[in-house]
Amino acid sequence: MIRIFLKELKMNCKSLLIWSLAVGGIGLACLLLYSSMEGEIKGMADAFSNMGMFSDAFGMSTLSIATIKGYFATEVGTVHGLGGSMFAALTAAGMLSKEEELHTGEFLYSFPVSRKKIVLAKSLCILCMIAFFTLICTALYALGFALLGEEIPGKEFITYMAMQFVMDIEIAGVCFALSSMFSKTKIGAALGLALIFYAYDLMGRVVPDLKDYLFIGPFSYSNASDIFSGTDLSVKALCFGACLTVICVVFAFIHYNRRDLSA
Amino acid sequence: MSYVIEIDHLTKSYGKNRGVTDVSLKVKEGDIFGFLGPNGAGKSTTIRSMMGFLKFNQGSIKILGMDSVRDREKILKEVGYMPSEAWFYDSMKVSEVIAYAAEIRGKDCRDEAEKLCERLKVNTNKKIRELSYGNKKKVSIVCAMQHRPKLFIFDEPTGGLDPLMQRSFFELIGEYVDKGATCLLSTHVLSEVNKYCKSAAIMRDGRLTMLDCPNIDDDAFLKFYEDEVEI
Repeated sequence: MIRIFLKELKMNCKSLLIWSLAVGGIGLACLLLYSSMEGEIKGMADAFSNMGMFSDAFGMSTLSIATIKGYFATEVGTVHGLGGSMFAALTAAGMLSKEEELHTGEFLYSFPVSRKKIVLAKSLCILCMIAFFTLICTALYALGFALLGEEIPGKEFITYMAMQFVMDIEIAGVCFALSSMFSKTKIGAALGLALIFYAYDLMGRVVPDLKDYLFIGPFSYSNASDIFSGTDLSVKALCFGACLTVICVVFAFIHYNRRDLSA
Repeated sequence: MSYVIEIDHLTKSYGKNRGVTDVSLKVKEGDIFGFLGPNGAGKSTTIRSMMGFLKFNQGSIKILGMDSVRDREKILKEVGYMPSEAWFYDSMKVSEVIAYAAEIRGKDCRDEAEKLCERLKVNTNKKIRELSYGNKKKVSIVCAMQHRPKLFIFDEPTGGLDPLMQRSFFELIGEYVDKGATCLLSTHVLSEVNKYCKSAAIMRDGRLTMLDCPNIDDDAFLKFYEDEVEI
């Protein structure tokens, strides 16, 4: 099983580096723009915080983008949230289905390894990839703060990156379940799912009737504006996310173990 | 008499589509068993059920005396399988694929792999994506044989191999069988069955007919295909 895990990690290494450096790099570039925009942003901050629903949706009503915390939460928070969720969705969506799509399944499944062990090796690979992705991005953002000469808002920053990691795991869990059901990788569905979760969170913050159901979406507990403005983490949302992740992963194990594998 | 493969009333359907119906089959130890039949007759379905890729509806399969569902991992340790289409991970080198196949089995097969690569003229430095169809088949043969299994299951193995390689392939099978292995060979090529197999069966329409003798003539053989077309 360890050999399958290592092979998966090696094969996905390039994709991991590209996504980590792209998302982390864009986040770093955004951060570095802060010093050049600092003066202008101060003038815009008041206007941004008084734009009603738009300000609520992007968290600018609770945080000032003229501060480094507010700027990081609104700018880098959006980049990392979207980039990370898309990376997690794409990685998990192809993890099982690619064996049938690329016709390598008959090679892999002819080895004396149970399907459960193969699913376990692949799920551990997803977990490691998301962990590496989060670590690389965290390092790049920390570098950004250092280059700007700004102090890292330690507690909020660590909490935010940890919650993003949890959110990416949840999205990956849902897409992993999808991957166990089909013999073709559903790239569109996986990316769509990540974007729907994001849009749901945006809508939930501006539509009063949706606010009570915001906890359903994974972006609710990982929202940068909430975390950097000191709002308590939603335990309800975290519990819901944990349950959904466990259900999806267990479903993937059971379903993949029972179904016919196409050639 | 010891049987390596015992299939008892196997039925597998794909929803409303027929797969195989009530197939029973026994293969003796040391046999080279020819498995003939037109496209879509159910040969691959039977083989894929044996390998545990498909979950069958009825019947039972015993391989090397073990239950194909319950003891799947133990069985696959002793089986060398070659699918009809040889697909590997494109980004890997041939040497990596061969080593990977051995490592997953937890065996050091380097000597045997080297011997096989030499006999089959496999270039182990090439990447999989650079290989032709026939060369991928040769890599598949090495992966199926390097751990010296007790049972070989080959699904249309000679397609894409040149005549010289086909001869080397059957020589290798003969050598392993002489050492106690058993071989089930699915094929469309009657001459292979006539020349190399000790017993044979023909599948048609998802049902299996055992042949008294593997040496059947072309006309009798083609009749199966013609009847299939009419159906």
